[in-house]
Parts: sequence; structure tokens; C-alpha cells
Amino acid sequence: MSFLLRRLGFYLVAVFVAITFNFIMPRLMPGDPVDALFASAQGRLQPETLTAYQEMLGFNDGPIWSQYLQYLKTTLSGDLGPAIMLFPTPVTEVLGNTLPWTIFLAGTATLFSVFVGCFIGLFASYNRGGIVDRFVPFTMSFIASMPQAVTALLIFFIFALTLRWFPLSFGADPDLEPGWNWVYLKSVARHAVLPMVTLVLSMIATWIFTMRNAMVNVLGEDYITMAKAKGLAPRRIMTHYAARNAILPVVTAVSMALGFAVAGQVFIETVFNYPGVGQLIIKSVGARDYPLMQACFLLIVIFVLVANFLADLLYLWLDPRLRK
Amino acid sequence: MKFFQTTLAKLAKFFRGNTAGIIGTTIVGVIIIACLSAPLITDNAPNKRVARGHQPPSAELILGSTRAGKDVYSQVLHGGRTSLFVAFSAATVTTFIALGVGVTSGYFGGRADEILMAITNVMLVFPQLPLLIVLAAFLGQVGPPVIALILGLTSWPWGARVMRSQTLALKNKEFITAAEVMGEAKWRIIVFEIIPNLISLVAGMFVGASLYAIGAQAGLEFLGLGDPTVVSWGTMLYWAQSSAAFLVGAWWDFIVPGTAVALMGGGLALINISIDQVSNPKLRTGPYLKIWRRMRAQVEAKRRRD
Repeated sequence: MSFLLRRLGFYLVAVFVAITFNFIMPRLMPGDPVDALFASAQGRLQPETLTAYQEMLGFNDGPIWSQYLQYLKTTLSGDLGPAIMLFPTPVTEVLGNTLPWTIFLAGTATLFSVFVGCFIGLFASYNRGGIVDRFVPFTMSFIASMPQAVTALLIFFIFALTLRWFPLSFGADPDLEPGWNWVYLKSVARHAVLPMVTLVLSMIATWIFTMRNAMVNVLGEDYITMAKAKGLAPRRIMTHYAARNAILPVVTAVSMALGFAVAGQVFIETVFNYPGVGQLIIKSVGARDYPLMQACFLLIVIFVLVANFLADLLYLWLDPRLRK
Repeated sequence: MKFFQTTLAKLAKFFRGNTAGIIGTTIVGVIIIACLSAPLITDNAPNKRVARGHQPPSAELILGSTRAGKDVYSQVLHGGRTSLFVAFSAATVTTFIALGVGVTSGYFGGRADEILMAITNVMLVFPQLPLLIVLAAFLGQVGPPVIALILGLTSWPWGARVMRSQTLALKNKEFITAAEVMGEAKWRIIVFEIIPNLISLVAGMFVGASLYAIGAQAGLEFLGLGDPTVVSWGTMLYWAQSSAAFLVGAWWDFIVPGTAVALMGGGLALINISIDQVSNPKLRTGPYLKIWRRMRAQVEAKRRRD
């Protein structure tokens, strides 16, 4: 229990650091942040609305700590006002529209790569020095070391543009009405294939390597020799003795991989014009809508922290030593 | 001379039977030499208009021209110098900070350790790219040195953790205790006793950090957050994307810088894997295992004869 509380406290601190970062950045930059807001509004906002908006974000004349308190209040209340870029849609609604796409893409791709990657790693360590062990990890890590932007562009060029097997952009056919019906879901699936493949290609090598190396280390332990001496079937030793213990480092690697998945998402959503948070943050940078950009940043941070917490829970379930 | 010979011998030992290391080093070496000698082996200045826009590869322009009529071959080599400069300087900054934080934290322990590790752990859970995007957006179209600096200043936490755990392991070895008992200064112990023992780790970290920086720089510039007037692999990708090179069929505009980044990244990754396998023989595969099996067979055959 104390383990969970410690982790929760840590994540809360991390959220505060992120909020404080958001608060400090506009104030450190050369030029007046209020002028920058005014410029990015490009006349879409009434002067009074703009003033009210600025005060809400803590750009008032008071001392810095009162500005900070105001900013904290606004952020924690969750009411972030209208998005300048897409005036008058509220920021929360803009974010709410993009988040499901990102969670869908990142979640499915991460789960898929963890399972398939661990399986390949297990197989490679099971057949040390075999064909799979010699070529698959190297090839995959060569592919994974290509920047995600480049992988995404290549896949886009080959499969979407040249072969025309998959659609060029959007999360689903824009002519269809969103809903839980077969036609729409099929369209969503078709649009998700290429972004998903790109994301999996850039992530899977980590899992193959983590699992293979963890297995190789575990296989040298005495209890494996003992199991062999007892005459257990090799397959049973692999799955019930070695893999169970080798899986722990894999779970630890989840937190690192998630940041990586989110980063990949930004490029992939940009290349495939996919309507997620990654694309939104780039669009808001382009439109100089800094409050929206910061809201995206905070959302991504919270998303990663929540996923990390889920990994902690999994860890607790897998490792009895933490449960005493 | 003696030093030179031992270094050479060590290098030869590193590469013997180490296919991944040989391939990786060759790729990276060729790219570095080609980029360094760019002014000698290219005829056109990278930013000079030499042809009409989007000319396909031909005898005159072996890799074609960009939308603005610039020589892609010259751009990729000159751009590589910028990209490599950013990658290696970012990696240097990262490695120094990671080493400093990790060793300080591991060796001194106590309060310093707690504070440094708290900062490290918080930095570690932040997704890096969004952080970089926010920083770059506020700084506005940043040039290569600034990109190198922000990459270097944000990507050290993982390395610091690795360095710390290794320092903790070293700290209790006899030779460190001996040095302490002899009354050596703390900085001397750190610089002359601990850090030399971390060298292989430092090398691995430097390669890993360069690999990350190559990709991150190309990515940031591709997203339009860099200074688009500078020629580098990332800005080449950016211009190709913004001039819709794919849609008009000018594949060379994309493929050339993309391949350069991909090859450099792949080469560095192979070097990294081979460093891992040399420092931890358990992880080896392929030819190593064959050699090992042959040796084992010989030993067993000998035992049976006896």
C-alpha cells in the first residue's frame, strides 16, 4: 500500500511541475505574452473577451504569486476557456474530440507491440543462435532506429500514395456519420492500419530486446538448472519458470516506452493527418495558440502519468515482494 | 607508441567476429567522412539555385533538385554536417550531465542523492518530444546550436540513473575503500578511480544519445520548429513536406534525406548493440555461439579421451 501511495504522491508532484512549467514558460520568453495572445487572436476575439481570457490565464497585473494562484485555479478547475485557433469552441471540447483517437492509436499499438515483441523475444531466447535470434532483433532495431517521421513518410509514400491500399488522411471517412455502426467502425479500422503499423514498427524492437535479454539473464539462474534437473519439459521451464521472472524488467520498460509512443504519435498523426492530440499540438504551434498548445502538453503529460500508474499496478500484481 | 598499440589491439579485439559492430562502424564512418569532405566532392553550393524545380536524378544532378532548384546531393552532404554537429554536441552535453549527476548522486548519497534523483525521476516521466515542442515553440524557429542545447539539457535522466547504479556498485569495491583510507580527495577519487571504470558505459551512452539526437533534431525540424533557412537533414524533410514533393512525384526530395537519417540512425544502433554484447557476453548470438559450442565440444572430447 505504501508503494502505491508513494507513487501517487510522485505523480502529483510531476503534474504540479508540468503546470508550473506551463506557467513559467510564457513569462520567460522575450516579448509580452499578452501581446502574443492578442496577435494570435487576429481579431477573432472581442477586446473584452480577450481581457477576461487573459485574466483567467493569470496574466493580470498582480504580483507573480497571485498570477500563479489564478493560473492554478483555472487549470485545476478544468475550464480552460475558448480555443483561440478554433474560436469559440472551448479548449476542453477540442481536447475531448482528439483524445479518444490518441488513446485508441497509442493503446492498441502499445499492447500489440508488447505482446508480439515479448513473444518474439521469448522465442529468440528459446532458440538461442537460431535464425530468428540472429536476424529478427537486429533487423527490427535497425528499423526502429529510423526516426519515426522518416518511417511514417516511407510507409505513407508506399502504401497510401503509390499503391493506394489505404486512405491518405483522417481518422475515418469524413462523409460518414460517426456512430457505433459497422460501416463507420470499418472505416476507422482502415484509416488506423498504417499509423498503427508505423507505431508498432518503431516500438516493437524495444520489447524484443528487453524480453530476450531478460530471458537470457534469467536462464543462467540456479532454479532453471534445478528445473532442468527435475526433468521438466523445456517448454514448461520456458513459460512457467523463466518467462514469469523475465517479465518484470519488461513492465519497468513500459514507462519509458510510453513517452516514446506519444512522441511517435506526434509525427505519425502529422504525416497521416490523423485527428489526435499530437496533430493538435503541432497545429496550435502553427497558429501560435499557445494556451491550447500548453493544454495539449498538460493532457499528454497526464495521459503518460496515468499509464505509468497502471504499469505500477501491474507491477504490484506481478511482484509479490512489493505487497508485504 | 605503446598506448597506440594497445588501443589498436583493443579495437581489433572489439571488432573480431562482431558483425553488427563492423557494419555499424562502416556505415557511420562513411557518412561522417562524406559529410566532412562535402566541399571537396560537391560542385554546387547547397543553397544555390542550379536547376529548375524538382528535376529527377540525372547525369548532372545525380540526386535531382529540390522544389527551389537546389542540388539535393550537395544539400544532403552539407546538411549532414549540421545534423552531425547537432547530434554529437547534444550527445556530449547529455553524457556530461548524466555522468555528473549520476556519479555525484551515487558516490555522495544522502541528501544530494535524494534531491538529484527526485529531479531525475520527474524529468524521466515527462514525455520528451512534447516538452521539446513546447520549448521550441516558445523560443521560435530555433537554430542548430539551440536545438543541440535543448536536446542535451533534456535527455540526460535515463543515463544519470544508469551511471548512479553503476557508481553504487563500484563504491563498495576494495580499491575505492583503499583510496579513501589513504586520504585521497573526494574529487580525485571520482575523477581518477570511479570515472575510468565507467568508460564503456559512457561510450555506450554517447552513441545512444547521438542516435536519439539525430532523430529528435530531424523530427523537430520536420515539424517546422527549426530554422528553415539552415540546411540540414531535418529542414530538407521539412521543405520536401511543405512543397508536397510526394504528391507531385518528386520522391528523391524525400527519400534522399530520409535515407541519410535512417542509415545514420541504423548504424549508430548497430554500434550500440555491439557495445552491449561485448560488455555482456551473455547477450551474444550467432557466430559467437558457434565458436562457443565448438570450444565446448573440444573440451568435452578432450575430457572423454582422458
